[in-house]
Amino acid sequence: MITVNFPNPIGEEHWGLWIVFYFFLAGATGGAYLLSVLFYGKDQGLVRRSALWAFLGVAVGAGLLVIDLGQPLRFLNLFLNGFHPASVMWLGSWFLVLAGAGLLWVYLRPTSRGVQQGVAVLVALVVGYTAVLLMQTAKPFWNASPLLPWLFLASAATAGGALLQLWYPHEKLSRLVTASALAEGAVLALHLIWTYPVATPGVLALLVGPLAWAFWGFVVVGWGLPLFLERRNVALAALLTLVGAFLLRYFVVMAGQV
Amino acid sequence: MPNPNDFAILFDASRCIGCKACQVACKQWNDLEAEKTENRGSYANPPRLTAHTWISMRYYEGLRPDGDPYFDFIRGSCMHCTHAPCVASCPTGAMAHREGGVVTVDEKTCIGCRFCVQACPYEAVHFDEAKGVVHKCTMCYDRISNGDQPACVKACPTDALTFGTYQEIRALAEERLRVLKERGYARANVYGLAELGGTHILYVLTEHPSQYDLPKAVREAEKRAATGWLSAGIAAAVLGAGLKFIVERREALKGGGQ
Ligand code: SF4
Ligand code: SF4
Repeated sequence: MITVNFPNPIGEEHWGLWIVFYFFLAGATGGAYLLSVLFYGKDQGLVRRSALWAFLGVAVGAGLLVIDLGQPLRFLNLFLNGFHPASVMWLGSWFLVLAGAGLLWVYLRPTSRGVQQGVAVLVALVVGYTAVLLMQTAKPFWNASPLLPWLFLASAATAGGALLQLWYPHEKLSRLVTASALAEGAVLALHLIWTYPVATPGVLALLVGPLAWAFWGFVVVGWGLPLFLERRNVALAALLTLVGAFLLRYFVVMAGQV
Repeated sequence: MPNPNDFAILFDASRCIGCKACQVACKQWNDLEAEKTENRGSYANPPRLTAHTWISMRYYEGLRPDGDPYFDFIRGSCMHCTHAPCVASCPTGAMAHREGGVVTVDEKTCIGCRFCVQACPYEAVHFDEAKGVVHKCTMCYDRISNGDQPACVKACPTDALTFGTYQEIRALAEERLRVLKERGYARANVYGLAELGGTHILYVLTEHPSQYDLPKAVREAEKRAATGWLSAGIAAAVLGAGLKFIVERREALKGGGQ
């Protein structure tokens, strides 16, 4: 039997850094594709370029998921071992494969906008299922409020917008990123208030405990500062937003397992 | 509801003396490796279930508000749930119900994703880092499918553990509850009838389940996922439409003003 050990600050049994990286890659690159289809559908160059990015994000992310398994060589059991639609992970695995194939197609061939929108639905499912996956667990910080999908989708829009801004600093994108960052901040605050009564240790770990560096790092460096810099230095704001998107997923994944 | 002829075990807290014979018998029969433990000021040791400890006695002691001392024990282990979150969440079918309602993991199929670990509300299934798969109580499936009792039941010196069909065990639990109430245990109750479609381990308790750290009103994994999908769908629609409205209405307004 082959097992791969990976750096994981809270023990091998928990979901650790590989999972966080995957959530980040899928969220940011998937978000970029979703925004380009929703708002820049006429700019086929942009849509196809963001499809390539999202394909790479999904492909590398899927690789990280496989590495994270205790038995990586058995990953095909996800697909060949029957029909398990009650399992969000089983559904998510199929979404990943289908979205990856769709993105590659959009990048390689000229496709109609209908196809690109269909692929966008698959990408939205990939971004969204990661939050539903956490909600299916027994961990109160993840399942006590229904807001995790809102948080992940809003953060995907913010991070995806930031990714597009890095080489396409368009005025409309600034407005988009600002609006979704504000929504993201509101959802995060609401989630913490909502889950506090049942997930007190997790919430306290974020506010004043061992995860405070990631939480406040996100609030100050990955969220507040970029909002402030949005009109002053777009490239720096975009980079910090991406750092923030990573920190957000890091502390959400860790706080559920406190 | 479990099938009347399913296998079941009753743990009767009013008869338990906290001797850990069950915990030791489980280790011996299932050939589970010893674990390094330390004195944490409680008899509970190891303090929680692990991949190599499938039964762990938990102890609760202190003074009641009226000054009466209490010392309560419970046998912590897999509850063999009818609507088991570990089974619903498993993406490969490795975790499944066997004949008689028993939940076991097929270690040759398990990919080590640890979703079941996150999904179990009783923290009863754990990851074996060396083998890359998860382990948990099997209700001694090898013994009971050959007409024998589980090792823990056989070892119990006070008849706090009884093995039988679900029908028998449930009747016994209700009978014990009646006797305890008669003897003045006002808070006596049976745990496991309503939880997760009925569990195949029933507890007769002399105190409220929360006194033993047992979760009440546990939501099934299917329902948690359904809430998640619904919330994700609404989130995608609201965020997508909201961003489109904010960004493009502003543009239209600007265009109108020129
Ligand atoms: S107690 Fe946990 S491991 Fe056991 S059947 Fe229920 S969910 Fe599965
Ligand atoms: S760790 Fe194994 S048994 Fe548990 S959910 Fe994953 S594949 Fe199924």
